[in-house]
Amino acid sequence: MMTQIETILAGKGIYFLTLLLLTLGLYGIIVSRNYMKKLICMNIMQVAVIFFFLCFAQKNSGTIPVAMKHIVHAVEYINPLPHGLMLTAIVVSLGTTGVGLALLTRIKEKYGSIEEKDIIEGEKQFR
Amino acid sequence: MRKVLPLILIVICLGASFVTLDFLPEIGDPSSKPNTHTTDYYIEHATTETNAANMVTAVIVDYRAFDTMYETTVMFIAGVAVVLILASHPERKNRIRFRKVRKKESRDGKPVYRTINKEVVIPLIEPMIMLYAIYVLFHGEISLGGGFQAGALLGMTYILDVMVIPERDSLIRLPKDKSTALGGIGTFIYVLTGILCMAGGGVFLEYEKLPIPMHALEKHSTGMLLVEVGVAICVMATIITILNGIMERVHFDDDTD
Repeated sequence: MMTQIETILAGKGIYFLTLLLLTLGLYGIIVSRNYMKKLICMNIMQVAVIFFFLCFAQKNSGTIPVAMKHIVHAVEYINPLPHGLMLTAIVVSLGTTGVGLALLTRIKEKYGSIEEKDIIEGEKQFR
Repeated sequence: MRKVLPLILIVICLGASFVTLDFLPEIGDPSSKPNTHTTDYYIEHATTETNAANMVTAVIVDYRAFDTMYETTVMFIAGVAVVLILASHPERKNRIRFRKVRKKESRDGKPVYRTINKEVVIPLIEPMIMLYAIYVLFHGEISLGGGFQAGALLGMTYILDVMVIPERDSLIRLPKDKSTALGGIGTFIYVLTGILCMAGGGVFLEYEKLPIPMHALEKHSTGMLLVEVGVAICVMATIITILNGIMERVHFDDDTD
């Protein structure tokens, strides 16, 4: 029984951790009332997705994907494709965070606050 | 209630997904689906076909260069979007007054940080970061690194300079209009490399047809270097644009004016 659990954890346990991180971000987005916190939680979700992708790249006893003369077999290098994809995704997530921050700046200028409660109250004044 | 209900839902989702993890491949298994097919081709042919020892760079700026071009464009568009979002103010009658928060006077007066003399340490660290960024940029094909990392490091140097010592005059000033233009230049360098390949008789971003008198593999290295310079410039400029655009307009609760 214990060995079964150990093999499951060694093989698939990391997926559970990434899912935990993803749902942690989701929970934060639902529960928090401050828009800045929501943005941070969105970033946590992005990081979870990036980790999830990087899990696929792993190979047992594989080395970094930089070609060396004495290592020739494809089995001995880890998978470069998810690393390449996630490299661009990290930088693009920076851009999306920047746009989110700009929107928050704009909201703060109009409503004087980025708390959900204050914004809903402020919206009632215009009616 | 507001906090408990999502928690229950999420726990149910987690449990359900933990039960059905079977379709995901085993970690570290070299013969799993993501680690076969194209990946083996990339690993076995990257060095001989593209003359780049770093396979990640070979994949993102040679095999999948078209994809990376649009990633760079997305970065540039993010910078433009920040500038456009912050281009206008909300009208004064549609604005809700700031509730002035009275500044709390600290009993000890202004905080004085005596541990690190930032005006001495930051100018010492900055050139090293920039040197490392240039190394990462030009060595991206051979060792670990690439254009995105170099751009992020260069942007970080600017952020360090602006945020830690705001009162010092910078040697290079990049207001948001100029840095947006710089991002455009970076993207343009990328596209220009592709168009040069077309001028040499190839298809878009086919580095072997670059109109330079060189060996085919050297042409690959040159094309990848040009593309990475473009990416680095675009990423750096976008980070600076986002920083400048937001720093100009941001209004803190304890601001005096």
